[in-house]
Amino acid sequence: MTTKPQLNLTRIVLQDIWHHIWVVILAVVLVVNAAAVVFASHKSRQLTSQWDQLLQQRDKLDIEWRNLLLEEQSLSEHSRITQIATKDLGMSRPLPNEEVVVRVP
Amino acid sequence: MSRQAKRKQKPEPIQWRLVVVVTFVCLLFTSLVGRAAYIQIIEPEKLRHESDMRTLRTTSRAVQRGLITDRNGEMLAVSVPVRAVYADPKTVHDRQGFEDMRRWRALADVLHLPMEDLVTRVKSSNKRFIYLKRQVTPAVAEYIKQLKLPGIRLKPESRRYYPSGEIASQLIGITNIDDKGIEGIEHTYNGWLTGKASKQKVRKSRDGKVVERLDVVEEGESPNDLVLSIDHRIQQLAYRELKKATEIHQATSGSVVVLDVNTGEVLAMVNTPSYNPNSPDKLQAYKMRNRALTDAFEPGSVMKPFVMAAALEAKTIKPDQLIKTSPGWMRIGGRQVRDSSNYGDLSLERILVKSSNIGISKIALSMPVEQLLGTYASLGLGSFSGIDLVGESTGKVRDGHRWSDFERATLSFGYGLTVSTLQIARMYATLGSEGVLYPTSVVKLKQAPEGVQVISPEVARQVMNMLEGVTQKQGTAAKAYIAGYPVAGKTGTSRKAVAGGYGEDYIASFAGVAPTHNPRLAIVVTVNEPKGDHYYGGDVAAPVFAKVMSGALQMLNVEPISQREQVRLAGVARRSK
Repeated sequence: MTTKPQLNLTRIVLQDIWHHIWVVILAVVLVVNAAAVVFASHKSRQLTSQWDQLLQQRDKLDIEWRNLLLEEQSLSEHSRITQIATKDLGMSRPLPNEEVVVRVP
Repeated sequence: MSRQAKRKQKPEPIQWRLVVVVTFVCLLFTSLVGRAAYIQIIEPEKLRHESDMRTLRTTSRAVQRGLITDRNGEMLAVSVPVRAVYADPKTVHDRQGFEDMRRWRALADVLHLPMEDLVTRVKSSNKRFIYLKRQVTPAVAEYIKQLKLPGIRLKPESRRYYPSGEIASQLIGITNIDDKGIEGIEHTYNGWLTGKASKQKVRKSRDGKVVERLDVVEEGESPNDLVLSIDHRIQQLAYRELKKATEIHQATSGSVVVLDVNTGEVLAMVNTPSYNPNSPDKLQAYKMRNRALTDAFEPGSVMKPFVMAAALEAKTIKPDQLIKTSPGWMRIGGRQVRDSSNYGDLSLERILVKSSNIGISKIALSMPVEQLLGTYASLGLGSFSGIDLVGESTGKVRDGHRWSDFERATLSFGYGLTVSTLQIARMYATLGSEGVLYPTSVVKLKQAPEGVQVISPEVARQVMNMLEGVTQKQGTAAKAYIAGYPVAGKTGTSRKAVAGGYGEDYIASFAGVAPTHNPRLAIVVTVNEPKGDHYYGGDVAAPVFAKVMSGALQMLNVEPISQREQVRLAGVARRSK
């Protein structure tokens, strides 16, 4: 029986990999890329949903703002202010000839 | 050879088994790959469709009608989202909706509807959609949602609130229940104020969150806000004073228009009687009309200054001319024109101050009728004012080319032609702006529009100075006098025409510009059919004018002048004549 030189299997495998290094790199890139796609689309979905929630929040705030506007308007109504000023606070509007004009130089 | 020997010693594999297994495994994989390829490449549509059915939704984002504000940002119309409650009777039947009557009782109570009506309406209908109540508040809507009645649903809509109420109701107008403007500014600027909801396709995850936005189905349009030229403080003041006067004099109606002399913007436009636009179920047409611009009437003496302007322009009279008015009446073509007393010889200023019909008739007869009609027309009589609101009246001079002398005389004291309150205001504003006629606008302007010089500046100034006497002690409208702000104005009291002549009803009016040395505002007050003892413009309309004018000038921070200054300015004006 002739003894063949002992072959190192690991070496052969590594050599083989080295020989096709580009294929291996591409394969790794492919897998990483696929994972990144999944991650990115997940992230995009999350952001979209967040965006939508913010839009809904904006609408809600807009509605609240409109209601507050109405409230402000009814509280700041001129006739109401005039009444409070004259009745409760005893104020009165000066006649034009009672006005004092202050000129800022 | 030793190899062969070795093989013979080893157990022989059964070939056919291997073949079967390999074939089977190959077939299995081929069919799996085939199936996958079929799904992915050859026929992907069906599953894609199934997936879309479960995740794709069309959402629409409701938009509210634009806001209307006054020139200082005060809200005049605000839309607030509300809900409409509707029933789908078929679903109610299919899902035994009438099992729990307690819930129906609660629904009827919260909607303020009689329960029997509500239930029979839903029971007897076989439609898929009936409104139960429209425009319910979000709080009530939430309560109804909690009731969880099958087949009772909510639909978003919007409701318009008018915080100023009846004060500006005719001007702003109203929207109908479907949010469409049907009157006033709401009608004219409907397109500008209305937005369109955008519709978009989205992908929703299982828990209802939007995870992907796909294409836009319908491009939306965001509504625009509208800033009016109205000053709400002045509007409010004018309404309050006019309403008071209308009540005191038991008048049928009244209008006030406040114009900015230098831009033609409308600062206030009010009418009585008015209505509350927030409770639109009791609308009456006669209250909804914006009388200040829809109702044209024979104006009476307020037209006299323009006869004067026309004559001065045509140079048929001289500024220092005296005109004989004794004995207080005059015959023209068999008809009589009279003054309230014998004024003797009057200067041009005194003719306006005393409102002498004879004096002004003589001036009118001194020039061809075309001259007078031309001046009236150039001041906007018979044409739209540029305000662009529904129902605007242009006013009118009677048709025809032949004018008798008497008709020419009546034309000079404001009969035989009709104008609206807004038009009178525009004419007086022209006097105040040294003869430049501006188009009127209810929308706030960034800069003054281009005006047309229709009267020469000198003539406009002369007439303004003459009118200053009207509010002095001997004038017809001492009640329009304002301490601190000199006023140039004119009263008018005209009889209303009825079939076959003139009746016993009057229109009292006062038109004026102030302050005369630096005009800012032109205000016209007309009171229709005052019933009391007083019906003269100087008694009915002038006090309203004075209150609104002085208040408005104060609000606009116009500097008042002292009594002494006022006398001095009057002296300068007289000398410059």
